Amino acid sequence: MSGRQGYWQSVWREFKKNRLARAGLWVVLFLFLIAFMAPLIANNRPYIYVTDEKVFFPLFFEYPEFKDIDFRSERVPGFKLFPPVPYSYSEYDLDSIVSPPSLRHLMGTDEQGRDLAARMIYGARVSILVGFIAVFMYVLIGIIIGALAGYYGGWIDMLISRFIEIVICFPTFFLILTILALVGPSLTSVMVVIGLTGWTGIARIVRGEFFKIREMEFVQASRALGARDSHIIIRHVLPNALAPVLVSATFGIASTILIESSLSFLGFGVQPPTPSWGDILSQSRDFMDFAWWLTLIPGFAIFITITAYNLVGEGFQDAINPRSFRGNT
Amino acid sequence: MSKYILKRVLLIIPTFIGISLITYMMIRLAPGDYTTLRAGLQGELKAGAIGKEIYEQERKLYGLDRPIIVGYFDWFKKLVVLDFGVSRKDGRPVSGRIAEALPITLALNIISMIIMYIISIPMGIVSALKKDTAFDRITSLALFILYSLPSFWIGLLLLLFLSGGEFLNLFPLGGIVSDWAENLPFFGRVLNVAWHLVLPVATLTYGSFAFLSRYTRANMLEVINQQYITTARAKGLTEKRVIFVHAFKNSLVPLVTLMATLLPGLLGGSVIVESIFSVPGMGMLAFEAILARDIPVIMAITSISAALTLMGILLADILYSIVDPRIRLEAKV
Repeated sequence: MSGRQGYWQSVWREFKKNRLARAGLWVVLFLFLIAFMAPLIANNRPYIYVTDEKVFFPLFFEYPEFKDIDFRSERVPGFKLFPPVPYSYSEYDLDSIVSPPSLRHLMGTDEQGRDLAARMIYGARVSILVGFIAVFMYVLIGIIIGALAGYYGGWIDMLISRFIEIVICFPTFFLILTILALVGPSLTSVMVVIGLTGWTGIARIVRGEFFKIREMEFVQASRALGARDSHIIIRHVLPNALAPVLVSATFGIASTILIESSLSFLGFGVQPPTPSWGDILSQSRDFMDFAWWLTLIPGFAIFITITAYNLVGEGFQDAINPRSFRGNT
Repeated sequence: MSKYILKRVLLIIPTFIGISLITYMMIRLAPGDYTTLRAGLQGELKAGAIGKEIYEQERKLYGLDRPIIVGYFDWFKKLVVLDFGVSRKDGRPVSGRIAEALPITLALNIISMIIMYIISIPMGIVSALKKDTAFDRITSLALFILYSLPSFWIGLLLLLFLSGGEFLNLFPLGGIVSDWAENLPFFGRVLNVAWHLVLPVATLTYGSFAFLSRYTRANMLEVINQQYITTARAKGLTEKRVIFVHAFKNSLVPLVTLMATLLPGLLGGSVIVESIFSVPGMGMLAFEAILARDIPVIMAITSISAALTLMGILLADILYSIVDPRIRLEAKV
């Protein structure tokens, strides 16, 4: 066990040496923070509201007496402490439609007068949710299928390999679009469909690693001691095959976020009013020639997110694969 | 040699049957049978005899009234002779619409692929030779950034800044040929089409430079350290000859197989690029079919693109076995 810990520690040490990968990791953590705290960053209710010597926390608790009150209105007296973005992602402000970034709306507003900053913050949630859950699903499927083929070999491997070959032939993006059109697009169906179609790469990696590892002496020793197949697979082979799988999963999150935003861009992703970066970008098409903020901000957010995950993936890959960073000169 | 190729070619038959089976089952087993989707949308299904009749007609049209196995075989028999039925959007044969769209997408993708290889391979080689210099670092970072730029965003920005809009007006807004180009001489028409293709091809291409050039770089680095390169240098060959004749040739081998892996991605990418630039190719046809739930067209495109990818893989395998004899020798054992 300590040997394995040592391995991951050395991977982490190598990873930390890579400046770009470290930067990528910071961006990823920052996005996580934003997504996790979205309701605390963008909200139309104040954290603290003091009136008539009484203190309320409208953002955290529901007060029946304030049910339909707009706290931002000047007619509501008292001390108010608002989140940095005092708007919810779905409220309309028909007085300022398609207005450029200003002190009132930090990132401007869209064609319905919704605050772009609030929508971007909530959009981060969607991209992280889809990225992680879909990739988790297909990594799980890929590991199971790849492990069966790689561990048992023979006709099981032949059948599975044929099946993988068939699935690889389908153009993934088109396949995902078609299935979403048939089952109806939603946050859940986007995650499930990407999860069900994306596993082939992981399965191939796991299969290859298992082929290598199952012949090693420690596996044979375990088999000689009478361990069950499931025990050998889960306790001995899989942990040693995990590193390349995790690298591939990191890149997978980047491409899944790209797929989700492309789907939303085409109208087959997350459905309104849930904000998604791809959807915001798609809505901007009608105002592109003057509303630059509606095109540039979501596009840039998608770009930065994808770059960050790819950088982390690269750094991770270099860290587990010493040959590629030492070079071979 | 020919035995290996024959074996490889025969193996595509079960794979193709698998592809057709998955295509059919996906459509047939999708929740919410799509005939009710259409008939029901118009509120006709439950409206009595007429709705019922339409519903029955639709079911018959797609073979839904027959057991799933029989339905599959009927569809497969037609698929083999390229009869995909008629599009429900305009009643035209699907094969005709695909015959119009496929050459456009193939041309778009082949041009992009050629550009990808022409630009990335030299870059990869130079990066490998100048490993860890400023050139190597800067190009790899620049290509990495290009790789991470979402193509639908770049497509939109190119449209905004370079064609019409408030800014430059260098390229047409969409389509592949201008209406007025009919009267042009042949060469003029070709130029007109090329002018239309610049932005779509650029959008389709830029993201793949990183992958290809890094791949070339890695291969090249591996080859350079082989003993036969040292031998070539020891013989006193010029560095140019060592690099271009001995090293380059061998670093090309894995690039051949790469073509096959790139193919399905390219067809998928066409959906986005073609819908942004209104290019009437397979991607646009596919997207319109999906929007209209035009099942015959969807099924035809799914099976055709899968079959094309299958051909690409087959071609790459055969090429691979020609350039690297070890492959077919291993297969024989």
